[in-house]
Amino acid sequence: MSAALVAQALVSGLLIGFVFALIAAGLTLIFGVMEIVNFAHGEFLMLSMYLSYFLHAGLGWDPIAALPVNAVALFALGVLVYYALIRRVLRAPMLAQIFATFGLGVFLQNGAQFLWRPDFRTLGDTWVTGRIALAGVFVSGPQLTAAAGAVITTGALWWLLSRTEVGRALLATAEDRQAASLMGINPDRMFALAWGLGAACVGVAGALLSTFYYVFPQVGGVFALIAFVAVALGGFGSVVGAFAGGVLIGVVESLAGVFVAPAVKNLFVFAIYLVVVLLRPRGLVGKQ
Amino acid sequence: MSGRVALALAVSLAPLAVSAQPKEVVIGAVYPLSGNLAKVGTDIKDAIELAAELVNEDVDLPVPLGKGKGLTNLGGARVRVVFADHQSSPERGLSEAERLISQEKVVALMGSYNSNVTLTASQAAERLKTPFLNADSTSPLLTGRGFRWFFRTTPTDDEFSENFFKFLDEMKKRGKPLKNVALFYENTLFGTDVSKFEKKYAEQHGFPVVADVAYDAKSTNLNAEIQRLKAASADVLLQASYTNDAILSTKTMKELNLRPQAILAMDAGHVASEFVPSLGKDAEGIISREVWALGLGAKKPIVQKVNELFRKRTQAGRGQPIDMDGTSARAFVGFLVLADAINRAGSTDAEKIRAALEATDLPGDSLIMPWRGVKFDPKTHQNALGSGILVQIQDGKYVVVYPFDLAAAEVRWPLPAWGK
Amino acid sequence: MKVAIAAAVALAVLVYPLVLRGPYPQHVMILVLLNALLGTAWNILGGFAGQISLGQATFFGAGAYTSTLLFQHAGLSPWVGLVAGAALAAVLALAIGYPCFRLSGHYFAIATIAIGEIAGIAVTNWDLAGGAVGLFLPVEGEGLAAFKFGDKLGYYYVIAAFLALSLLLAAWLRRGRPGYYWRAIREDQAAARSVGVPATRYKQLAIAISAALTAMAGTFYAQYVLFIDPPSVLPLSLSIQICLVVVLGGAGTLVGPLLGAAVLIPLSAATNVALGGSGKSLDLVVYGLLIMLIAVFEPAGLVGIARRLRRR
Repeated sequence: MSAALVAQALVSGLLIGFVFALIAAGLTLIFGVMEIVNFAHGEFLMLSMYLSYFLHAGLGWDPIAALPVNAVALFALGVLVYYALIRRVLRAPMLAQIFATFGLGVFLQNGAQFLWRPDFRTLGDTWVTGRIALAGVFVSGPQLTAAAGAVITTGALWWLLSRTEVGRALLATAEDRQAASLMGINPDRMFALAWGLGAACVGVAGALLSTFYYVFPQVGGVFALIAFVAVALGGFGSVVGAFAGGVLIGVVESLAGVFVAPAVKNLFVFAIYLVVVLLRPRGLVGKQ
Repeated sequence: MSGRVALALAVSLAPLAVSAQPKEVVIGAVYPLSGNLAKVGTDIKDAIELAAELVNEDVDLPVPLGKGKGLTNLGGARVRVVFADHQSSPERGLSEAERLISQEKVVALMGSYNSNVTLTASQAAERLKTPFLNADSTSPLLTGRGFRWFFRTTPTDDEFSENFFKFLDEMKKRGKPLKNVALFYENTLFGTDVSKFEKKYAEQHGFPVVADVAYDAKSTNLNAEIQRLKAASADVLLQASYTNDAILSTKTMKELNLRPQAILAMDAGHVASEFVPSLGKDAEGIISREVWALGLGAKKPIVQKVNELFRKRTQAGRGQPIDMDGTSARAFVGFLVLADAINRAGSTDAEKIRAALEATDLPGDSLIMPWRGVKFDPKTHQNALGSGILVQIQDGKYVVVYPFDLAAAEVRWPLPAWGK
Repeated sequence: MKVAIAAAVALAVLVYPLVLRGPYPQHVMILVLLNALLGTAWNILGGFAGQISLGQATFFGAGAYTSTLLFQHAGLSPWVGLVAGAALAAVLALAIGYPCFRLSGHYFAIATIAIGEIAGIAVTNWDLAGGAVGLFLPVEGEGLAAFKFGDKLGYYYVIAAFLALSLLLAAWLRRGRPGYYWRAIREDQAAARSVGVPATRYKQLAIAISAALTAMAGTFYAQYVLFIDPPSVLPLSLSIQICLVVVLGGAGTLVGPLLGAAVLIPLSAATNVALGGSGKSLDLVVYGLLIMLIAVFEPAGLVGIARRLRRR
């Protein structure tokens, strides 16, 4: 139980936790603004990763350099999904809302499998490779970059929400839709924006992940589940909460994996989730 | 009078007409043709179809039934294979096996790669009294069920695990300083089975197991797992992974600077066609159990010839030529073993085919495998003449390094330190 | 009119395997009936009481593993195992419900996913339960007492009987007080509570019954396939498939799960056979599309569509 082992476990956990946090932030934004859980969030991530893969394989673009492309493309996808699908179930019962995004997820995942085959793909050499050693703790280049990218993006999102007019309009819509529209804010546009931003977050995460994780149609499922748990842990609707949730999960997973048993590390994640949510049903920092 | 004679003649000759030889013999194949293992399933499909083509055509290759068109003892009947997709689901494997037997009227089945699906599919065959030949599932429990209709050509994880330790004994004799091992395996049937045998043989051969790390192949990262292995600091790492986790774990080992003296991998992911291209230099030196290698062609020219035909077929069908690997090679051989038995039976009667399978005795030279031959144990129906080999990635290629008499090059030991 | 249709369908179901004698068509129908049963069980909790569970596989696995382990270690008849499995699942359900019913809507759904995942991971790493290798049952032995049949007819009628019993139970519950309270809870739990509806108690009732029926289906599956492992009886994808069936057919109605299963299962089997060689997952692409369309245009599923057409 050396200090180096603990330090390494913490660092590794933090790094991946930041990526979880970014994915969760996008998810929680959507819920916060319109109380809809995007069960296709994982598939947005998957599409972003495929985009990075194809840009890299076909045009030789490095995923980090092409990151803005992912962000813009996924933003557009989010807005499109809002107008084509979500808008129609805004007033529908919860079951219908769940299944609308759920069906979208199934459609996208299997569409990807149909079009691109179930093979796992990895991006070959990208700009960021190698590792750094700091006091006995090893940090891989891609993971460090991904973590940095995630923190920056989440920070940018937070800044957008709290410091800009648009952001404040979004938050107002989340608080009270009717009051916001009385103030001249168009809820419809706000919802579309929320979807666009939420998808863009996950788009950035996808680009970052593609530098070290493999790309395949079901990749969304793995990360989405963690994102749901992170969001619920942090409190639906709170970006800060989702961030904390993501990081917490990353660290718990890592520590449990190193000090208990790797095969059951996720069991600890889910167990912690249940404990927190039962003690504080609204999550750690939850709002509504 | 003549009318009654004619009638009597007709009646007595009728049985002959009824028992005329069939024009084609249908064989069923249940494999994962969609989902995660789609590529494996497709490779197997191509290999079996190639074998069927060689049976049906008159080819100048010393493979069973190469000469002559079709099944010579059945009047030249052609073989036709019907494929079914089990999508890695045991329940689907069961129902597809039943469908092929009862609706497609196959005379025998081959399948199914995934050990748990082979388990249920062969159960269906056993109940429906149809011969089932397995060429690629290595879980020993499959031949421990006392089934009459189940036959297996491939060696099992038991033999493969023991092989690792025989090899390690040899390396120890050659003065390599190795004392202990660590196990690292994915936690479904494949990895778990392998780990059980590795533990058994580790004990028998006197190698303490200092770490036993099972992991979920669907993890988002393997940092914690590799860290545990690092903490245990074993001399040799025994690994059993599928493709994606083999690649991810190797990358993570480099990132976290884990470098045992050697890594002995149990086939699957480490010999998949994406492994070396994805890792480049980082894959150098890894040793894997294999059942087959293209390099065997140096001592057995038939291997090269069949591989060429496989490349042609995949080029035509998938747009790019693909080399055979252990899985496609075993499927190829498995089909020929089955066809040969049907031919020797001289009939499509299930019991006769079963008896012919039991009597199988094919010599090693007629096979593209490094085996002494194919001969099924009378009780378990496990091929007793099979064996595994060890290959090592040297300069980007898989080179046979063990058994030493089949080796194409010397083992490079230990693993080189991690580069940049 | 409704009774006549129901009788006709029941008759068709009874006669089906005698007309279509091949094991494959019988197998497909068995799957339809099994999924209809699972859907009916989910419906009680999700459709009637409005608590969306995405972790039903936990109970399915509980049933399958309980009966199989009891048989393997104590030689107990699978029928005894069936009852034991159902009882265990009900107890598990109550234990899950007690804390989780405090959560609302989305939180509850995600909690059920978490529980399902925990169950899967736990069993995979539990050697006594066979771990990742799974458990298999012997092929020999036949007859109703052994809950094992040489051909499919026996299995077919057993699952048909289970389904019939479950439907009767569901219908009876819906018509009585439970159904009345469940509807109130589903529409507006706070309001229901304020007029004296014991919400928690009735939600617990729903989850316990749902779990018991699901576990029964699990035991059936184990006896049918004779092999169980975590990926085949505890995966998230199974929990999801169960919901899909009900939502497609029409949640909250008795007929919904039946319709949903009758459409989804053969569709999946057909596309698998048709595209099997190319492995293209087209059936699931179609499912996804169907679900989205249902969610947007007719949340009441096929039943809702049928009602609309009849009103025209």
